[in-house]
Amino acid sequence: MKQIIQLDVNDEVHEIAVQPYDSLLRALRETLGLNASKRGCDSGGCGCCTVLLDGKAVYSCMTMAMQVKDRKVTTVEGLGKVAGLDPIQQAFIDADAVQCGYCTCGIMMAAKQLLAENPNPDEDAIRKGISGNLCRCTGYQKIIEAIQLASER
Amino acid sequence: MALTSVEAFHSPADKASVVQLLQKHEDNALIVAGGTFLHGLASRGLLTGIEVLIDIQNSGLDNITINTDNVVIGATTRFAQLETSQEIAQEAWLGAVKDAIAYPPIQIMNSATVGGSIASSCPFFDLPTSFLALNGAAQAHGPDGSRDIPLEEFFSGLFENSLAPAEFVTAIKLPQPPANSASAFIKLETNANDLAIVNAAVALTLDAEKKCRQARVFVGGGMGETPVRASAAENLLTGAVVDEDSIAGAGEAAKSGVDPISDHRASAEYRAAMAKVLVEKALRKALARVD
Ligand code: FES
Ligand code: FES
Repeated sequence: MKQIIQLDVNDEVHEIAVQPYDSLLRALRETLGLNASKRGCDSGGCGCCTVLLDGKAVYSCMTMAMQVKDRKVTTVEGLGKVAGLDPIQQAFIDADAVQCGYCTCGIMMAAKQLLAENPNPDEDAIRKGISGNLCRCTGYQKIIEAIQLASER
Repeated sequence: MALTSVEAFHSPADKASVVQLLQKHEDNALIVAGGTFLHGLASRGLLTGIEVLIDIQNSGLDNITINTDNVVIGATTRFAQLETSQEIAQEAWLGAVKDAIAYPPIQIMNSATVGGSIASSCPFFDLPTSFLALNGAAQAHGPDGSRDIPLEEFFSGLFENSLAPAEFVTAIKLPQPPANSASAFIKLETNANDLAIVNAAVALTLDAEKKCRQARVFVGGGMGETPVRASAAENLLTGAVVDEDSIAGAGEAAKSGVDPISDHRASAEYRAAMAKVLVEKALRKALARVD
């Protein structure tokens, strides 16, 4: 049976109805229409569903919507708008770090936590920081450069 | 993969309420916390008939307590909390715990819990192998109160454990070993987000002459239905000076003592060969930590 919960996404509180088994990813995409977070494997293997929960990167496909009540969710929609992009978004554009783009939103969210905790990560720290994210276009080098660029700005 | 059989989600505020829910819903209830292995269990057909989820993350079980004779890690302690604990970072005897959490990506570090790594009773997990080497016990709470179950008894089979009905894991207890002890863990994996092909954890206690007073050696990751104790390797080390000769002997003994599975990750033969390599490397790593 569906239940009504309050979900704080990108500093806006939504009242939505979810099934007790719904993932946060499903609530974001199918109920709230926030489609930046992608559904790749739906089982914690690819990272393209990564969002921040109270500032920490999690797989939204493995987090249950019911577990998120009272916590703050941040998705790429909450980072920046076309006029006024987040530094990480701008760096991905400037470094040509996007191919098909399917992995991009998840990787940017993982990078957000990395840069928040370690503003000047070396290459190893960047690789470790995005080790939970796959890019099937295998554009890792440009992605690492983009994160380096964002850290320098 | 949604668990569409689930009809209700509870988030009890204390242990007693958890037990009440477990008593009421019996086999139809499942304890959850980080949720990172729900899919893993469901895809193996282990969650059919689950109608009630009991989230214990708000049940007050996320503390790390350092006592004089042991360390108690609450069940819903996240891997990321372990990583920031000073004791776990500094104590040589807890090296195997520190090593095991160096592998997962941040998304798992932020979600997965210590209790879940135990209660899932998955033979491919990393922390259980370390906790076994450290002679850990699961603290279980149920209708009759709390009890400690040594992990070697706790893991009773493939995805099976010896929890009684309406019992659940509330903490893991690691007894403080004598001075001159250290431990280490090593995992062989195909990528950062995969289960172990093979893993190994060792705990050593040396005496004043640098001879081995006590050794615990475990190998996991497809070695059997649970991580396996390499008793022959332990016997060989006990009383010996830990050097390249005894390390090689222990590695060989660990290899002959296992009967691994073959699956899409690796053949049994490869796993056995790697069990030797990993035990040797883990022993060198632990030895370097004893001061
Ligand atoms: S969709 Fe969540 S990790 Fe792949
Ligand atoms: S850009 Fe295509 S998957 Fe990464």
